[in-house]
Amino acid sequence: MTIKRILILVPTLVILFLLQSYLWVPTYEEQTKGNPNRLHEYITASTGDATSLNPIISSNSTSSQIESLVFDSLLDRDEELRFRGRLATSWEISEEAYFYLNPHAVIHHAMTSDAGKTDAEGIVRILREARKRVTDLDPVLKATLNRIKKIMIIPPEKVVTTTHYKPAKEEKEEKEIEVIIQAPARIKLSLTEVDQDLFINLSKILGNDYFASFDGVQYLKTDPLVDKKRLAAYAKEYLPAIEHNPVIIFHLRPGVRFHDGHIFDAGDVRFTYEAIMDPKNLSPRTADYEPIKEVEVLDSLTVRIVYKRLYSPALGTWGMGILPEHILNQEALKKEAERLGKDPDKFSMRQSEFDRHPMGCGPFVFKEWKSDQFIDLDRFEDYWEGSPHYKRYVMRIIPDLLTQEMEFYAGTLDSYQVQPHQVERLKKDPRFQSFSGTSFGYTYIGYNMRRAPFNDVRVRRALGMAIDVNKIIDYVLYNQGERITGPFPKQTDYYDHKVQPLPYDPKGALDLLKEAGWLRNEEGWLEKDGKRLEFTLITNSGNDIRKAILAIAQDGWKQIGVNVRTDILEWSVFIQERVHKLDFDALILGWVMGIDPDLYQIWYSNQTHPYQLNFVGFENREADDLIIKIRQEYDFEKQVEFCHRLHKIIAREQPYTFLYVGKWTAVLDKRIVIKDFDEDGVMLYKKIKPTKTGDYTFHFNRWLKIPEMPQLLD
Amino acid sequence: MFSFIGRSIVQKIITLFFVSVVSFLIIHLAPGEPSQVDPMNPKFTPEMVERFQKEFHLDKPLYVQYLYFYRDLFTGKIVSWKDSQSVLTKIWERFLNSLPLFIVGTILTWTLSFPVGIRSAIFRGGIYDRSATFVSYLLISIPGFFFAYILIILVVTTLHVPVIGMETFGLGASSWGTTLMDRIWHLLIPSVLGATGGIAVLSRYVRSQMLEVEGQDYVRTAKAKGLPPEQVHYKHALRNALLPFVTMFGLILPGLIGGSVIIESIFSWPGMGRMAYEAILARDYPVILTVNFVAAVLVLVGTFISDLLYLVVDPRIRL
Repeated sequence: MTIKRILILVPTLVILFLLQSYLWVPTYEEQTKGNPNRLHEYITASTGDATSLNPIISSNSTSSQIESLVFDSLLDRDEELRFRGRLATSWEISEEAYFYLNPHAVIHHAMTSDAGKTDAEGIVRILREARKRVTDLDPVLKATLNRIKKIMIIPPEKVVTTTHYKPAKEEKEEKEIEVIIQAPARIKLSLTEVDQDLFINLSKILGNDYFASFDGVQYLKTDPLVDKKRLAAYAKEYLPAIEHNPVIIFHLRPGVRFHDGHIFDAGDVRFTYEAIMDPKNLSPRTADYEPIKEVEVLDSLTVRIVYKRLYSPALGTWGMGILPEHILNQEALKKEAERLGKDPDKFSMRQSEFDRHPMGCGPFVFKEWKSDQFIDLDRFEDYWEGSPHYKRYVMRIIPDLLTQEMEFYAGTLDSYQVQPHQVERLKKDPRFQSFSGTSFGYTYIGYNMRRAPFNDVRVRRALGMAIDVNKIIDYVLYNQGERITGPFPKQTDYYDHKVQPLPYDPKGALDLLKEAGWLRNEEGWLEKDGKRLEFTLITNSGNDIRKAILAIAQDGWKQIGVNVRTDILEWSVFIQERVHKLDFDALILGWVMGIDPDLYQIWYSNQTHPYQLNFVGFENREADDLIIKIRQEYDFEKQVEFCHRLHKIIAREQPYTFLYVGKWTAVLDKRIVIKDFDEDGVMLYKKIKPTKTGDYTFHFNRWLKIPEMPQLLD
Repeated sequence: MFSFIGRSIVQKIITLFFVSVVSFLIIHLAPGEPSQVDPMNPKFTPEMVERFQKEFHLDKPLYVQYLYFYRDLFTGKIVSWKDSQSVLTKIWERFLNSLPLFIVGTILTWTLSFPVGIRSAIFRGGIYDRSATFVSYLLISIPGFFFAYILIILVVTTLHVPVIGMETFGLGASSWGTTLMDRIWHLLIPSVLGATGGIAVLSRYVRSQMLEVEGQDYVRTAKAKGLPPEQVHYKHALRNALLPFVTMFGLILPGLIGGSVIIESIFSWPGMGRMAYEAILARDYPVILTVNFVAAVLVLVGTFISDLLYLVVDPRIRL
């Protein structure tokens, strides 16, 4: 019968046709061993595709990995996590500080001859005299005065500016009003280093309330309708009594070229800054650059960046890839818009083809990006530091980890990010070399300190002591984790290793709870004033490790008589409904940290409102003070000291039960080595070693794959 | 006939409108924010959240957003939030990638299911029928990703050839013949995997339909006339058993755009399903809604086609 025959024949033929293609396909051997070019290619994989390859727009890890190869930045961190110059050869950080003359303040300091009210010249005289009299001053003040390089008077000036004003909340219309600022004389101090205590120290000479008693409102004239509160806000904005303006001067590397041969210069740095701040580009990185007052090009190889206020994370923000101005400036974008037939007024970098065809001055040149398949890069022969040994870098997008693993074994991937349970097995494999290190993130249980009983530190500490974290690390993480005691990344100097983790001590926990008034009743449950100790512990779904911790914590707490309910919520419900609205008792969550120790958003006491990140409601005066100081301190040693103090306070208060920081492990083909030269210029191969901070790709540009298994000394 | 077509088109447009409203509402009422807005990132200030929401029109009332979205969709200007690419171009590219998988899978499913199911029906209760039933239910109940993994591991370890992706990675410059065959090889496992599930389900339907028809008088008559059994089953019975499959055939059209998330992810196949899935995770509303809209259109076109097919295959139906 024809129908039957067709129904059987057609699929058979189709399958046979599909099967015969096997004869044509290159085997893995042909691709790897049989392919001489394979040695010059580095192929890695990522589970997710990049979104954009423009460093000012993208915000995911695949994108930034590619960007770090295509673009170069002014500086980055070296093996010890200290800053290291890249496109910048060196930099100087200094400060310009300003304060307004306060004609009403009375100065009475023993060592000044100009006692009483004084004018600008008088102030300058006082400061100069104080600087000369070095003998009898307290050393801190002396150090501050020694930093002052230059003192200048800015004569009084009148400025007229317009601003928008909404007369009342109910009214929608905004009114444009004129503000006349009749500024008094201002003193400008040039300092050799940034000094956050400058004005505190100067007030030892000028009087304790010299700066505080300055009232800007009297120098403002505006529409009589403006209320007092608003007026005070204007005064603060236009006439701040004191102002710190840190200054960074970058000296750029001469002769660096973009991939198209165009010479990199200071204009590109300024352009990158402007591009980030341009609202049209909608950059997610504006917060880092908002404190910048101006970026000034001094000459083609010198940029001067002035900040509006003390902001110590500033230097680190220049680890940002530098964009080529000549490709992306207004004119170029306009031309592109016209070519694509789009409205030039609405056309921004987000629409530009640059997004998918980036070009910078990094070690690799962008070649091709096939969405959800691969991103292909070629080495840049003219790279200023010497071109990388690998000729080609490919990032394949393989969403499934098992297929990644298969491809790695087959040799079509050079590296594989190992899952915790595979670490032991793959470490022993002679074909591979494995690296492991501490990650930049930790997992914790956070308590809502607005709610009883979590407002009592003894309860928080006791709850922490009832969980056996070592067991979590051993059994849930297959030993791929370490204990952590505070909010800083463990491999940085900011982390205080002297702080001891909470011991696992259910007995001690019960004693603490007893002290706090919680006693076990006949049934074994903890009770206080007839009320049981019970609450709900929540976390997000889709994370098996957190789910396991949830059960372990629940069990640990149950054993000391705490009745815990648990709940697992979908991520966005968890964040939007519970975390943001502060509607939780306790939760399991993690933070991924940067290197910079600024913790303002997570721990400062004014960040405890809904939709803010201090959702546990941690409020501590001393901690607040330290957080601000860390944020404003430019001196590394001092910053470390402040961080250690903050670490101790947070560990003492236990707003979180800090659980662990994970470890990452990567395996590489063993034939990949570092090619280097010794002092005599003799070439030698070295084993790849991760840096102290766990970055094994730090020397990537000198990596090389050799045909035979190497016999290397460590 | 023509009045039927006219009426049907008007009805479908009205349905489409309601589908568009409901899907828009569901997606906007579901919790979550576009992945560009990262509320858990300390560097993400409220001003930035506001600016993103303004850019994406999320600060506008829902009906305004609805109008904006469909205006952009119909003028072809709709762009993805994730990478500012044109959504229609993206969908078209992915559609072309998914198409071969769909075609091969469909051919295999819609041919093999019939002989398998019919044989089961003819020898009802026999060993063949029992084992076919067993295998079918086994295939239906074991998740597809499991088979996929097993197959990948088997093929990679025994044959040492790459199976993932649309083509061998790093094939480089080779003749067009090799390139084509390489692509066909990569098609084999994912499409066969997709088809096995389909065959398992469809052959069950065929079997039960055939069982119903085989008991009819005209089949007995045909047998009594002395017609060869093949002709009885494949001509007299099958034709009448086919009616429900006409409806089902119309409904495979939306499968074009749905693709298979799991198969595409495991095989790193850059297809439709994976794009839609990732768009959902990233709350990339323009992509989600466009895919949704296209799928709705395809469903309606599919039902329309099956209505017309009904007219052709069943002379009793007059519209």
